[in-house]
Amino acid sequence: MFSFKLGLKNLTRQKRRNILIIFVIAFAFSSYLLMDSLMNGMEEMSFDNIKNYDTGNIQVAYPEYWEDRDELLLENLIYLNQDMEESIKNTDGVLGMSPELRFKANLNNGIDEVAVRGVGISIEQYNEVFATQNFVVEGSMFAPGESKAVIGTSLAELMDLKVNDYITLLVRTKEDTFNTIDIEIAGLVRAPNPMINNGIVFVPLDVAQEALNVDNMVSLFALKTVSGEEDRIIKRLVESFKNKDLDLKAYSWKESAASVIALSAAKKGGIGAVLSVVLLIGMLGIINNVILSALERTEEIGMMKALGMREWEIVFVFMVEATGIGVLGGLAGCLLGYAGVSWLAKYGFSIAYVGDASDFGVPILDRIYGTWNYPAFSFLFILGVIIAVLSSILPAYWAAHKDPVKAIYHR
Amino acid sequence: MKKIKGFLLIGIIISILITSLIITTAVEMTAEEIINKRDNNEYFDTAQMEAEMIIVSGNRKIIKTMVALTDKKNSFVEFTNPQDRGTKFLKREDDLWMFFPDAEEIIKISGHMLNQGMMGSDFSYQDVMEADKLTDLYDFKIIGEEEFEGRPCYILEGIAREGVKVSYYRRVSWIDKERFIGLKEELYAESGRVLKETRVNEVQEIEGRWVPINSVMENKLRKDTYTEFIITLIKFNLEIPEETFSLQNLR
Repeated sequence: MFSFKLGLKNLTRQKRRNILIIFVIAFAFSSYLLMDSLMNGMEEMSFDNIKNYDTGNIQVAYPEYWEDRDELLLENLIYLNQDMEESIKNTDGVLGMSPELRFKANLNNGIDEVAVRGVGISIEQYNEVFATQNFVVEGSMFAPGESKAVIGTSLAELMDLKVNDYITLLVRTKEDTFNTIDIEIAGLVRAPNPMINNGIVFVPLDVAQEALNVDNMVSLFALKTVSGEEDRIIKRLVESFKNKDLDLKAYSWKESAASVIALSAAKKGGIGAVLSVVLLIGMLGIINNVILSALERTEEIGMMKALGMREWEIVFVFMVEATGIGVLGGLAGCLLGYAGVSWLAKYGFSIAYVGDASDFGVPILDRIYGTWNYPAFSFLFILGVIIAVLSSILPAYWAAHKDPVKAIYHR
Repeated sequence: MKKIKGFLLIGIIISILITSLIITTAVEMTAEEIINKRDNNEYFDTAQMEAEMIIVSGNRKIIKTMVALTDKKNSFVEFTNPQDRGTKFLKREDDLWMFFPDAEEIIKISGHMLNQGMMGSDFSYQDVMEADKLTDLYDFKIIGEEEFEGRPCYILEGIAREGVKVSYYRRVSWIDKERFIGLKEELYAESGRVLKETRVNEVQEIEGRWVPINSVMENKLRKDTYTEFIITLIKFNLEIPEETFSLQNLR
């Protein structure tokens, strides 16, 4: 008990130095928490933006199409039939289904031309799966039966286009012959996924099918499902395709988000590196503190040993002091982190400072919002204390192991 | 005097007969024959050419110069103007490669890239690639006759044959009745919209064949833009070493 009290008391002896170390630890811990919150927020938002605006939870396509899906070829398309659609729609857990015909096009405004991705959609079904309609900033999504287009605000800005302007989409039919889609812009959309804003033109499915000469065919079905249930629903779908002798396959949104997932894995590596640096800072601070204290108190240690204090009691004194610093640093770090994460979760971090995030493959438009990762707080606090205790043992033992006579006469 | 009048009369009669014979022969030609005759006139075994491409877009005007070697299936083009010096294209049958000296890399141009304008011009890479015999790809018919730039022309319409892969669904060509050379051509999308128009401004007889030495390509989907193609030197039927059309030669 005496050693414990002495250890606590020693905490107040070098106030300035201890406060500085506590601050260093707090700063390192809070930086880690902020980074963790921001990275998790980025990951969560990226995944949501992929699911809600690009892929849905599950996509159904022929494997041959899926392999080359980025090529947007008009090969291996799915011929729409009611039986197939009903079977997918009625699969347990499927909340909506959007048939899509994806194609390459050149958007022409009469002066310039830019390569875009055309997407033929059935508007009612599309709205069941995707949230794009909530982000129409001018005009509206086209109504069923209406032959109009919707484009992103960035694309509109680039091509100097407004609602009610006419655009020409230069496409190639299934036979590779040029064709044009002359269509009026119904609305401009600014969705949280920059890909939607930068390079996609939505047109009615029947208009796209006619222009591309693909009859009643689509590239794939995008499905909205109960979140987190994707794998189970994919199994059900695959089973049902097998029973119906269809070669179709179902793919989770994760397969379309490979680059973001890879980025996320790299992020975890980065977070690990930050954590190592944070812990190293804490360890060095505490080791430094214990060594300095031991050097300052060499005579005192010698005196305590001469008065009968055992080595482990002296080690314990230093350990209590280091643990105190660890606890206080950890608490301060968690408090600072709490404040920072609250701010990040509420106001977010504008990525305009670092440029267009989509250039780095992050499908986020302008702000990343932090997320709460409570286990990270407790993990960091506990780890901080453990590191403090462990890193103090060796220097404390070095101090306690001194010969009392030499220590008392230490000059 | 009477003798002179007689000769004059005979001369006029002979001229009328010859002219009508020519016209009759020409009128009786089928669309396919006309196209084939044009193709025979325009196509050659090998050629070496120096040319200039003037790309006009609004107020901007860019001039590119090039030398080209071509045989029936392959072409090799090297740009010689200062900005693009060293940029090379190699077309080998249905494949097209490009070499950028700055990147020191050979790029295969395929897929959607083929729709882009070649070196920023109104000629797409796909236009350059079209080498098949037109009569194999299109069903041609004569839809009229009219004068173009003072020259009597047949107007021929070609509609893509079913099942064949062609870039343009319909093409309308104005073909000089006497020289059998295309003077104007409109290229249409399946929707009926005219996409491109080519006009020949100047034709010269070189080595016994009529060659369009100045032609203009307009992308009709874009305003205020056209590309003028001027052949400054052309020689036919030269020996071209086989390795000219190799990827090694592209570097």
